[in-house]
Amino acid sequence: MQPGALKRERDVREAYAAHSGELYGFAVRSLGDPGLAEEAVQETFVRAWRAGERFDPQIGSLRTWLFAILRNVVIDLGRARAARPGVAEGGIEPSVEPLEQALLSWQVEEAMRRIGEDHRRVLVETHYRGRPYAEVAAELGVPEGTVKSRVYYGLRALRVVLEEMGYED
Amino acid sequence: MKTEPDNCRDWRHLLGAYALGDLPDEEQVALEAHLEGCAECRAEAESLDSVARLLPLADPGRFTQPAPRPSPELGKLITAAIGREQRLGRRRRRRRFGLALGGAAAATAALLAILVLPGGGAGQPEQHVDFASLPAGITIGATLEPHAYGTEIRMYVKGIRSGTLCRVYLRGPHGERVPAGTFRYRWGDDSTAVLSSALDLSRTRAIGVRAGNRTFVAPVDVTGASADHQSNQEDVT
Repeated sequence: MQPGALKRERDVREAYAAHSGELYGFAVRSLGDPGLAEEAVQETFVRAWRAGERFDPQIGSLRTWLFAILRNVVIDLGRARAARPGVAEGGIEPSVEPLEQALLSWQVEEAMRRIGEDHRRVLVETHYRGRPYAEVAAELGVPEGTVKSRVYYGLRALRVVLEEMGYED
Repeated sequence: MKTEPDNCRDWRHLLGAYALGDLPDEEQVALEAHLEGCAECRAEAESLDSVARLLPLADPGRFTQPAPRPSPELGKLITAAIGREQRLGRRRRRRRFGLALGGAAAATAALLAILVLPGGGAGQPEQHVDFASLPAGITIGATLEPHAYGTEIRMYVKGIRSGTLCRVYLRGPHGERVPAGTFRYRWGDDSTAVLSSALDLSRTRAIGVRAGNRTFVAPVDVTGASADHQSNQEDVT
């Protein structure tokens, strides 16, 4: 996309098709409210369109730029909500993490969704649920060495996905 | 698994469990001996370690569910909003929500607001929590004290492997986790770790500590009604 290309409505539609899912996922993760998250995504694209001529792919990707705008929108909405206590009552509990950590948490969770089911499952069972490898191996009907191997390839796959998402150690 | 792996491929299959701290001692010692002499495997181990350190940030209760999707109408709403602005010719440079503050400054302001607001739990008596049904030799206890900013936690741990990183969190009424900080347990250290969380004690339903690859959780009885429910469990959320 050329500098300023996001000025056109058609380009906004293309950007929306490519990135709205991720942006919405992070907005829900941060705000804990699907309705507010949609408001945040809408505001992000409207702001991106208003400032479209300032977008320069030489500096960073469109995805990175949109996330930077969304981050500001989430901060603004969070502040607005803080001034209206009780708005989120009954909804999903909003994230209480600092925003940068919420973004990283969302990236890791999204990356976990994208790796293979076999790899995700062994990581959930062994790491998150703390189950012994032998027990997981018996349940899956594979040798214990295979579970260790899947843990290894699962972490490798996670690393690749995170790098694709722009994570830098 | 072969008892004596004889090339890097065999060793590398152990690197995932190694990064997560799950290898039995014998395998860990043997692998570390190999890593000493193999720069490539060492680099791979360090790379995986950086990924493994991110895992506690993710909540399996979230990523085992499908990713949330926006409603199908959202895209149309956005193009309609842009169309309206185009028609009206109003290229508003002033941002709708007022961005007098930059991102970092806004975050700082929000944090300060949290710190100075009176908490709902202040004034409550402190709570002592015993983690029951722990593995033999392990003792964990905590005292939770309400403050205006949230809850102070004084945690006592004994009997786990020296050097283990412990991540402590509180659970709120909707099951949400609120981090309370980390500490590293050292063998022979009988001191108490002092931590804090933004969650009010009055809203705290449980306290959890992830020690290495195990998580221990104890309910917090802020009402005095659930004394018979006090039990320890592996956290499987």
